[in-house]
Amino acid sequence: MSARRPAGWLGSLLRSFAIQGSWNPRSLLGSGFAFALVPFLRRSGLVGTELARRTRRHLEPFNAHPYLSGVALGAVARMEQEGADAETVRRFKRAVQGPLGALGDNLMWGAWRPATLLFALAVAWSGTHPWVPVLLFLALYNAGHLALRWWSLGVGLGGWRGVGARLEAARLPFKAERVVRAAALLLGVLTGGLLAGGLAPAGWGWSVGGMAGFALGLRLGQRVLRFATLAVVLGILAAAAAGAR
Amino acid sequence: MTLLLSALGGVLALDAIALGQFMVSRPLAAATIAGWFLGDPLLGLQIGALLELFHIASLSSGGSRVADPGPASVAAVVVAATAQPDSAVALGVLAGLVTSELGGVTIGLQRRLNARLIGRLEEGPLTPGHLDAAHLAAMSIDFVRGAALTAAAQVGGGWLAQALGPAWALGRGATMALLLVGASVHLGALLKGFGGWSVRRRLFMAGVVAGLAAAYLG
Repeated sequence: MSARRPAGWLGSLLRSFAIQGSWNPRSLLGSGFAFALVPFLRRSGLVGTELARRTRRHLEPFNAHPYLSGVALGAVARMEQEGADAETVRRFKRAVQGPLGALGDNLMWGAWRPATLLFALAVAWSGTHPWVPVLLFLALYNAGHLALRWWSLGVGLGGWRGVGARLEAARLPFKAERVVRAAALLLGVLTGGLLAGGLAPAGWGWSVGGMAGFALGLRLGQRVLRFATLAVVLGILAAAAAGAR
Repeated sequence: MTLLLSALGGVLALDAIALGQFMVSRPLAAATIAGWFLGDPLLGLQIGALLELFHIASLSSGGSRVADPGPASVAAVVVAATAQPDSAVALGVLAGLVTSELGGVTIGLQRRLNARLIGRLEEGPLTPGHLDAAHLAAMSIDFVRGAALTAAAQVGGGWLAQALGPAWALGRGATMALLLVGASVHLGALLKGFGGWSVRRRLFMAGVVAGLAAAYLG
């Protein structure tokens, strides 16, 4: 984090944890962004109608990954401090929102979260005390989560002009790729464990069913998930109905 | 206890999107916590781990339609704790999956309500105080939504456990296998999300061999 961080940075960091609090299809993250920016605006000496005017202009639509929104938050705080005009601020926010969304989604939702969950699930499947996998997951996941939030606000506070270069230097896609590799290995471990410990003891037919299901998911991806869930719901109801006859 | 668990559901609903996103609302954690409240964290972990397999491949990027596994996990453990032993896991997972989807529908409704709250701000006079009030109101509504969902699911799930539990036809092994076959579709989709078979097959298969070895040797 920059040594010359502006007043209000801690308030904004804390408020950024609630940046999705009023997420809506109209302004997306816009209202949450304005909510998180308020401590910066207040501590920069703005009062009255000028504070209201500056707050209002940040209500406009904005979207980003919540953990990386600190980049835009910090940079916009610097822009406000420097007295940048509204159009420049608007153009900056529009320019960064796509990359911040994509980078965050790939790193956290696509890599870090499944990797830490798979690790915890593999530990749980090995038969430990119930709290061990849960605490391992929460500690590991949030170490990455909190570090990313802290880092992203620091990147933004470093000034809006060099944001692109600093994001590029961080090589987030490269880091996501490394995490995904580990996650693929962990997914294999868990799949092997479930096959041997959950499906095989119930009979070879269930094992074949599991492998067919895996192949279906591998082939169709996200498109088939709700159908698979619905099939399980119907399967459970059918098993209950069969017993009732 | 119903009220306490409903409040837990409200807190977990907040964690999922509106506040923090510390992932306490993931089924693995949420169900274990609910199990601890009920005096059986191991049952909570079993339900949570199974529900997690059904949610792990789902992406929550942007404004996409999402499920709500936090409150659903609480309801799932309550149902499992009240059902007969043979049917407990299946009916718990059933309650969790259905509640999670219904929760997703309520999230969509709440987002529309948020749009109205924020829309009023845009039209009328605005101070940071007005913005804070609207933002906190939206979060409070989310808490109430999660708590109400959890309460309703506990009541509905309890009825479900009493109606379906005594007639359960499958043994424990077949019950677990039925759930794992469904979960395997989600695990396949997760591998596709990691880049697919052609890119990840070596690491994945190395893991499978290690997992099989650990299961048979362990």
